[in-house]
Amino acid sequence: MHRLSASRQALCQAALLLVGIFVLLPLWSLSRLALDGAIKSVPTAFMLWPQQPTLGVFGQVWQRASQSLSFLGLLANSLWVSCLAAGLSVVMGASTAYAFARLRFAGRRVGLLSLLVGAFLPPVALMTPLYLILESLHLRDSTFGLVLVYAAFSLPFCIWNMRAAFQAAPRELEEAAALDGATPLGCFLRVALPLALPAIGTAALVAFLGAYSEFAVGWLFVENGRDVTLAMAIWGMRTMGGVPWSQIAAMAILMTLPVTAVFLVLRKALFDRMAFGSPE
Amino acid sequence: MRIAAALAVAALAAILRLRAVALLPIDYDEDDYLRGGLEYAAAIQRGDWAALTQLNYRPEHPALHKLAYGLALAPFPPATVPDRPTTAAPAPSLPQPHLYVARLVSAFFGTLQVLVLALISPVAGLFLAISTWAVKYTSQAMLEGIPSFTSLLVVACYARGRIRGWRWLALSGAALGLTAASKYLYCVAGAAVAVHWLASTAPRRGARSKVALWRWLRPVLLWAVLAVAVFAAADPYLWPDPVGRLRDSVFFHPYYTQSQAVQSLNMPFWQTLALLFSSVPWHRSVFLVALDPLVTLLAAIGLFGRKEPRLWVTWLVVAAAFLLVWPTKWPQYLLCLLAPVCYLGAAALARWVAMLERAWAARGDWHWRPAWPSSASWIGLRRALPWLIPGLAAAGLLLIYPMIYQFAISLTDLQATSIRDGVTGGVWREVWLGLTGQVSPVTPSALGHGPATRVHYAGPGLLAQVLLSIDEVLAFEIVWTVLAVGTQAALGLGVALLLNRRGVRFTGWWRTLYILPWAVPEFVAALSWSHILEPRFGWLRLATAPWAQQAPALARASAGWMARTDQALLLLLMAALWYGFPFMCLAASAGLRMIPHELHEAAWMDGAGAWTRFRYVTWPLLAPLLVPALLIRAIGAFNQFYLFVVLRPPHPLATLATISYTQFASNRQYAVSAAINTVTVAILLGLVLWFEHKSRASEGLTYA
Repeated sequence: MHRLSASRQALCQAALLLVGIFVLLPLWSLSRLALDGAIKSVPTAFMLWPQQPTLGVFGQVWQRASQSLSFLGLLANSLWVSCLAAGLSVVMGASTAYAFARLRFAGRRVGLLSLLVGAFLPPVALMTPLYLILESLHLRDSTFGLVLVYAAFSLPFCIWNMRAAFQAAPRELEEAAALDGATPLGCFLRVALPLALPAIGTAALVAFLGAYSEFAVGWLFVENGRDVTLAMAIWGMRTMGGVPWSQIAAMAILMTLPVTAVFLVLRKALFDRMAFGSPE
Repeated sequence: MRIAAALAVAALAAILRLRAVALLPIDYDEDDYLRGGLEYAAAIQRGDWAALTQLNYRPEHPALHKLAYGLALAPFPPATVPDRPTTAAPAPSLPQPHLYVARLVSAFFGTLQVLVLALISPVAGLFLAISTWAVKYTSQAMLEGIPSFTSLLVVACYARGRIRGWRWLALSGAALGLTAASKYLYCVAGAAVAVHWLASTAPRRGARSKVALWRWLRPVLLWAVLAVAVFAAADPYLWPDPVGRLRDSVFFHPYYTQSQAVQSLNMPFWQTLALLFSSVPWHRSVFLVALDPLVTLLAAIGLFGRKEPRLWVTWLVVAAAFLLVWPTKWPQYLLCLLAPVCYLGAAALARWVAMLERAWAARGDWHWRPAWPSSASWIGLRRALPWLIPGLAAAGLLLIYPMIYQFAISLTDLQATSIRDGVTGGVWREVWLGLTGQVSPVTPSALGHGPATRVHYAGPGLLAQVLLSIDEVLAFEIVWTVLAVGTQAALGLGVALLLNRRGVRFTGWWRTLYILPWAVPEFVAALSWSHILEPRFGWLRLATAPWAQQAPALARASAGWMARTDQALLLLLMAALWYGFPFMCLAASAGLRMIPHELHEAAWMDGAGAWTRFRYVTWPLLAPLLVPALLIRAIGAFNQFYLFVVLRPPHPLATLATISYTQFASNRQYAVSAAINTVTVAILLGLVLWFEHKSRASEGLTYA
């Protein structure tokens, strides 16, 4: 039981390798396209490796990503929308999460259940009414409208997750601060908030990522080409046609790399906090 | 008392079936079976009894049912029905009163079936009596009447025979023979009886001698032999050339499943499941009540009851498994499992009634607690309010008001042409007028007809229409959620077990590699898969292209997966598996690390093998830890959206979110989209409440 025989070891490694190939398959199909300078529109023959290995495609999309914006312009839009949406969710939700974690009040249970339902809703379930509401406010076709929509998608999740973080923080510290004469607001700002900061960061990151990679809803809301985000631009290249697949793939990779890097660095903290907030 | 109830139910069944006999239009294949009956009738009128062994129009189905039509038609003047291909459209007209008489024969046996089921359980009989599927197909000149009756006898007599002795068992065998001589499909009841019989009398592990084995198999074999004998006797067409004709008749069916007529319909494999959850969608005015979805729902609940008789569950499971696997999906095949569905539905209902009775009897013991919160918590609310205000304001504007607004939209007919009116208060105006009764609702069927520039109140009709029309998508959602979560959990758990074995090398590297799909946005994951699966220029297509000559089937399959629902489901599952399994793997790894290693050591010392250790040590400790992750992935699969939007699989492969998006983006039917979303919210709300009730699993929510 303690030592694996050589044949068993080989068998385990073979099984793991098989899964590894499965994992790498789509990633490689994407990278292979992006690294191939020979593809003018669509690939026409099966190729395991790029025909003309080059990084030039990345250069092309960097300079001229979409009709009205450069890559950096798209990225700026994406960052602006995602950061604002995540910030809005966290800032508006923090004190509410604290109340749900520390106080007992009428309607608390109903509120918690509603938060849970809200966190489970698919974005599309909110899309229809938000479209019409923002339309009547003349905010629909703007980046600020997108901020509001994405904040709506992430708000319940953020509140729920921050509540778990506040609950995990030791209550005694706040009680001690109160004894030393801190006001409730002081307890919250000086004691509870710093303790829960890592978890709040995770919630913000998840909200950010949700907005960063959303394209379908945004595609319906925004009409002005200057307000398009990175994910929407890739979707546009895909649906409009005429753009070489290698360029689409290169854009997707450029969009993914920073996100993946962050995930890999933070994966342990992310998983522990995101998946299993502490039980009540 | 029970007999009186059964007779009343049977009378109701007879009335419903007589009505259907008179009103139903001519359906597919009725001309074939009527022609078969008329051929027999002509032979009987001639007194040419020998001809009965030579005649069997449409010999792929055995003769008994057509023979019954022939006997009933013998007293009437001769008539003819033209010979048309089996795939032909319904005949425009058929000779009367012959069609009427044949239908009456069918309805007679359908009513007998209801009577028998009602004698066993009156409520089950009632369910069967009003089942629109049973009413329709036992009131037409089809081949469903006799076998549905006799297949019920097979099971009922067996159940009685297990207590009352061999006479009833012999009757069960004979009934199975008659079933086989009417329509082969219904023999699934016999298969279920055999499975139940063998399982419930299997000799115990220690006592497996030859004698015991023989004693175990003998009664079942005798029963089967009797069935075969009765079958041979009841199908005169077989007498001249039993082996050859039986072979032709039976083997027609597997070939038929490969025929163009069946293949071109391209029905998904769960088609039967979808039909069970709906009533007959055609000629609605014929049926007075349509409660089929309700009965199916009750039966689904009854399936999980602890005390339900295994026999009926076995019947349902065997029949459902067969219908899922068998490629031909005609709706009349449903009849082979309607009886157990009705029985289990009645059992579930009975359990609930008993529960209510108990609750009523114990009403004095309840400590009545006011639902109104005590004053202390209202004080608590006042204290909490300042903290809650920012979140409440944001949620009110971005979530709560939109949800209410969405529900209001789903009561109107808002669409692209009326959006100006809609966003300038038209929605609220119409809902107010409608709810106060000042305008009457436009009929939902008028929706989308003609571009109206004003919003109209449509009432709950639109919601009802959406609910009725999404049964296919709902059935797919169930199949999809179960399969997606199952595969993801299986692969994730398998990988986690491998990585957590002692002595396996390079685990750090593998872990980092396997985390990758989780770290990629779902949009990019779907995009990479679409680059592989694209039917013209995708990697898969290009890889199979060079073999187009040698393996045309492979090339066709890789190019045409979009058109084949089963294939498309498989490929979608693969993409979802890729995206979802790392999360399950992480969850399982985290759980495995919490299981003390000493337990394994102890089990190993006691001589437990790898499987036993997993089954009795690892799994019981791990399973509860996996519940939150499973829940997250299940809801993630239920709401799966980006994968479907990017890959665009064929109908009905879609989630509720996807069809809502399509209605919004392509058709600009805002009201329909809102109605679908309202249904989604209701389902998720139900799920969350159920989970809260069942466990505290939801405490562990969240990222999916």
